[in-house]
This record gives sequence, C-alpha cells and structure tokens, in this order.
Amino acid sequence: MRNLFLFLRKQYFYILFLLLEVLSLVLLFNYNEFQGSALYSLSSGFTGSVNAIFSNITEYFSLRATNKVLVEEMAKVHSRMPEAFYKNDTATFFRKDPLLIMEFKYISAKVISNSTNKRNNFLMINKGRLHGIENHMGVIIGNRIVGQVVSVSTHFSWIMSMLNKDSRISGKFKKNNQLVNVEWNGGSYRTGQIREIPKHIVMVKGDTIITSGNSDIFPEGFLIGTVSGFTIAQDENFNFGNILFSTDFNSLGYVEVIVDLMRMEKEKLKTSFKTQ
Amino acid sequence: MTSRTVFLNFVRFFFLIALQVLILNHINLGGYVNPYFYVYFILLLPFATPKWMLLVASFALGMGIDLFTNTIGLNAAACVIMAFARPFVISRISSGPESLIGDTPSLRNQGMSWFLYYSISLVMIHHFSLFYLEVFRLGEFFSTFVRVLLSSTFTVMLIMVSEYLFFSKEK
Repeated sequence: MRNLFLFLRKQYFYILFLLLEVLSLVLLFNYNEFQGSALYSLSSGFTGSVNAIFSNITEYFSLRATNKVLVEEMAKVHSRMPEAFYKNDTATFFRKDPLLIMEFKYISAKVISNSTNKRNNFLMINKGRLHGIENHMGVIIGNRIVGQVVSVSTHFSWIMSMLNKDSRISGKFKKNNQLVNVEWNGGSYRTGQIREIPKHIVMVKGDTIITSGNSDIFPEGFLIGTVSGFTIAQDENFNFGNILFSTDFNSLGYVEVIVDLMRMEKEKLKTSFKTQ
Repeated sequence: MTSRTVFLNFVRFFFLIALQVLILNHINLGGYVNPYFYVYFILLLPFATPKWMLLVASFALGMGIDLFTNTIGLNAAACVIMAFARPFVISRISSGPESLIGDTPSLRNQGMSWFLYYSISLVMIHHFSLFYLEVFRLGEFFSTFVRVLLSSTFTVMLIMVSEYLFFSKEK
C-alpha cells in the first residue's frame, strides 16, 4: 500500500494528465453522440446570452445590408405563398375538402453565432423550443438552404451548417431530376462536392442543383448551388463534381426554420408500413 | 509566486477566452485559417507553477472555450496535451533550471531563439491535436496538415507581436 502511494506521488503528473485527457475525450465523444445532453442545456443558457449580447452590438454595423436583405426576403416570401400549401388534387373525390391545406410553416430567426472556418461548422439562432422549433427541421435563407437543427434549448437552437463533415443533403439536377448527394469536404466555404452521379448523366458547368424533397428535412426545390466543375471517373461507376454554393455562409443574418406540419402523418405512414 | 502573479494570470485567463470567442473565432483568412491565440495563457504561466496546476488550469481554459463553441472536450483535450508537453519542452531547450531568468517565459528574458522554439513547438502540438481531433478522419490527413501549419503560423505571429507590444519594456 505504501509503495502504491509512493508511486502515485512520484508519477502524479502522468496520472493527472491521463485522467484529464481521458475526461476530455469522453466528454468530446459522448457529447457529439448526444447533442441534447445536460451539459449543453446548462451551458447554452449562459453562453447563448453572451453571444446574444455581442451579436446585439455587432448587428448595428450591418443594418443597411440587413434591411436590403429583408426587403428582398419579403418579396420572395410573397411570391412563395402558394408553394407553402399542399395542393389537394383529390377535390373531385372528396368534394367537402378545402382545396388548399397548409403543409409548411416558416419561422424566422436571427443568427447569433456562426462559423465557416472549422471543419465542422454550426450556427446558433435566437429561437428555440418555445417558438416551436424541434430537432431535424431544415433551415433556409430566402430560397437557399443553410442546414438543419440538431439541438434545441428553450430559447436557442443549434444548427448544423451544410459546412460540416456530417452534413449530407439529398439534391437533384433541376434540368432532369437526377438525384445527387451534396457534401462538403472542408476547404473553401464557397464550394461543395456532389457525388454518386450516374455515368450517363451529361453535366454542364452552371447546372443548377436543388433539394430533392426526398429527405424529411427540406421540401423540394430549394437552391443548393450550381455546378462549377466535374471529373469523369475512368474506373468507377459514378462521376463526381464541385458546386458553388448559392448560400453565402459567411453573411447569414436572418434565417428561416421550416416546420413541416404534416411530418407526424408522414412518419406515422412510414412506421405503419414497417410494423405490418 | 506572489498574489499579484496569480491575479494577473486570472485576468489573462478570462481576457484571452473573451478575446478568442468574441473576436478571433470570427476571423478566417482564405476561408479556413484561424488563430487559436488563447493558448498564449499556457505559454505565459510562471516557471514555478506546480505541475498539477498547469494541467488543471489548461483543462479549465480549454473547457471555457468549449462552452462557447459547443465543442465540449475538444479544446480541453488539446490544451491538456499542450500543458503536459510544456515541462518537457522547457527542460529540452534550457541548459538547467538555474539558467531561466525571470518568473515567466518571455521573449525579453529568454531571447528570440528560445522563445520562438518554445512557442512554435507548443502551439504546433496544440493545433495538431485540436485539428485532428476535430476532423477525426485519416482520409483528410494532408488537407488537415496544411490547416495545422497555416493556423500555427498565424497564432505564433500573434504571440510574437504581443510579446513585442506588451512585454518588451517590462521592469
């Protein structure tokens, strides 16, 4: 026993180092798995309000630009109104149904922290559970996509930007509806990568990539980017290419969170098929 | 260690965290290079700091940054590795404990080559751990390595500039 204590005393620097290092790594990996952990909700209250105060100050420097964006956004929102509705074509069969049922609702929110210089980038916005935001909701700016909600506290939400190694957006070519996956492999925040493009698809620089609507996160038709270059792979079955993001991730002021009002119904449909 | 030194280090601790999360984290050169200047705190801890204190203070520093950037454990892990390496780097580049002039490592007391070697090697250790832990994927080995090199250069430049600004006339 005495020898043990002597050993501990002699080697305490190494032991303390190992303890702290293991503690950090455990926190790092557990935390990444469970985004909504207790530690997060503890810290987000304080750090969220510090970020909010700082953002309140810096906001004044970009008022003119923000105003311009807001006016543009208003025009876009007005012109998008019909798309926010689910078109009920079955009117001939169910005459009593109203013609239009709302499918998507948009909640506007202010970005209070944002980064583009990390390998994994996140944003924080000033709305949370209180305003009806939940995990896995999509986030857009105008008609361009930003990312998805990965964690929600009472007043703030944590959003995984498209500039993240875990971000995978299901997109498609606007011209022929061919599906592609959009990713970001680091590097410049202006360019992303598209993968798994079948060989027979003819790509041209400037082709528009939009959301496919296949995932439950984004409705169809939001802008992702335009093809800026591509490689014809010789020995593989798929081609790949680069795209120029439509979104300027470095200048996000106000964003909108998409609430899918029919999500419960869609999920229920999926699970009911699984259980059959 | 006088109470003044302790107080000074406390102030530096909070000041560097605030500087890092409020200003430096918003800087990005060429899209993805950014400085992690807050490690300057670990570099400037007095020579006489107990070794356990070195580890615990660095852990707290990293954790402070992590709470703001929502990367719990990431900066803390890198800072602890850096603090662990500090005594070894110091003993490697100094001829003995009696040869160290002054209480804290500084450009003025230890000279240009000593301080450069000291800051470059520790900053590299920190950035290397930080970036590779963040990416955690071997496929991006070289692009991450370039980021480590560029960001380290940037951080060391900031450290040298502040050495010249704040510590050249002390005493």
